[in-house]
Amino acid sequence: MDESSYWNHPTSHLLGSVPAVVNEESEASYGRRGGGGRGYQTLGPPTEGFDQQSQNNWKGVFSISSYTQYFDVDTDVVVNRLISSFYPAGGDFFNKIGANPDLYGLIWITTTLVFMLAAFGNCATYLIQKRTDRTTSWSFDVGYVNAAACGIYGYSLVVPVAFYFLLRYLGSNASLVRFLCMWGYSLSIFIPTAFLLLIPVEILRWIIILIAGTASSCFVTLNLTSYIGGSNDLRMMMIAAFLLQMALAIFIKAWFFP
Amino acid sequence: MSNSHSDTIPLRPSNSQSDIDEIRSLIDDSVHSGPAVVLPARHPATTPPPSSSPFISSNIPPPPPVSSSSSLQKLQSVPAAPPPPPPVGNSSSIVANGFGPPPNTLTEPVLDTVKRDLWRIVSNLKLVVFPNPFREDPGKALRDWDLWGPFFFIVFLGVALSWSASVKKSQVFAVAFALLAAGAVILTLNVLLLGGHIIFFQSLSLLGYCLFPLDVGALICMLKDNVVAKVIIVCLALAWSSWAAYPFMSSAVNPNRKALALYPVLLMYLSVGFLIIAID
Repeated sequence: MDESSYWNHPTSHLLGSVPAVVNEESEASYGRRGGGGRGYQTLGPPTEGFDQQSQNNWKGVFSISSYTQYFDVDTDVVVNRLISSFYPAGGDFFNKIGANPDLYGLIWITTTLVFMLAAFGNCATYLIQKRTDRTTSWSFDVGYVNAAACGIYGYSLVVPVAFYFLLRYLGSNASLVRFLCMWGYSLSIFIPTAFLLLIPVEILRWIIILIAGTASSCFVTLNLTSYIGGSNDLRMMMIAAFLLQMALAIFIKAWFFP
Repeated sequence: MSNSHSDTIPLRPSNSQSDIDEIRSLIDDSVHSGPAVVLPARHPATTPPPSSSPFISSNIPPPPPVSSSSSLQKLQSVPAAPPPPPPVGNSSSIVANGFGPPPNTLTEPVLDTVKRDLWRIVSNLKLVVFPNPFREDPGKALRDWDLWGPFFFIVFLGVALSWSASVKKSQVFAVAFALLAAGAVILTLNVLLLGGHIIFFQSLSLLGYCLFPLDVGALICMLKDNVVAKVIIVCLALAWSSWAAYPFMSSAVNPNRKALALYPVLLMYLSVGFLIIAID
């Protein structure tokens, strides 16, 4: 911990700035972020106290230093979160994040998943074609990259945002960054799954994807319960989250590994 | 701004006209002893940071030598010779220390510019991709960065991939180009977001130069069509690229976050390597 303070000496936030338009403490961006006032709780964790520190670093949309607060993790922290996302039991992911949600996991897990789906999807069609046709008419389909990128990036951005707004509307105390973080880490189980789906046996593929989809959906649902009370409306949210994650799993199987 | 003493001790009427006259006299001096163009307060001896405008680099050739002929003649026959020694005749005049003769890159022959840029690309390549004693020090390794080299390497890789593709050629080129260009930017942003200290364009330049081994691999794969040979060649090229990029990336961040900064680099080169193998 002390080593990080050696690196993060007070002028480090200046060095990271990209030479573009820098909005220094502009009221518009601050208002957009904080909902209009300092007293509005946006980034604080639901059960712990209000974390004043994270709001003070916002220096405008175009300054890199205002986003570094979301990447303030070390290698072992990321690995720890990754491993905990593989075990769907135990809904304590948000406690594990604590006051330090990171977007590093979201960005690089989704990017890795896009690459894996495009690469292994192509390999799988190659293997199946070699088994059945014995011809070499297979060619690399670049459309898989487009489909994977649209599907995975779209899902991992739209679904957390939609849940954030819905839960806010229904009165619960949600935080966008923590939702993005959790959904990002929930996708990590699909990476070894994509590798396993190379096996050209159809029934085995379905079993694998159903297991992985169930694990991932349980992870998402169990962690959402910490934001949701017992009322029926919010229980529908949990079921919706479960179904959406299963739909993503089935989409992965059906599109990339037909 | 700096003539604060003139407010209290008016030695001469300090209005703008006299300042203009003084500048004009300095210009006249420089006409007789150096090139006719006077740049606004740009000292040739200072070394600007690498991320400044591309016309000023740290090893820019010194200004053309002072000849005894008139300056007009010199403008028409700008020297096509290799970088000349610093002008001796200017040292006595006030102009050399204050304004200085400018680097005349706008009026030199095109072949000179091309040769100089090519030489810079080659020397940067030697620094980055091949072993040299400056590897561990990122500040020295690519002090004279440029973006021409990365541009050539990315376009060459896209063209090579597109050439060897049998269907959807233009889509293959688009994917390769977008992947590499956007990937370089995103990798640099990743290091900056993790709290590392690198210069944006220097990092873009370095990641582009590290593509050179993959370019060689793609070229060889274009010629040979055996899958096993392709896998071996691409693996070697990948290892070489990663070895080239490793010291720069890892020294830019906190040691606790080294793996977080290096993993995306590996991912990008791996995906490019996969594209090279799979496209036939």
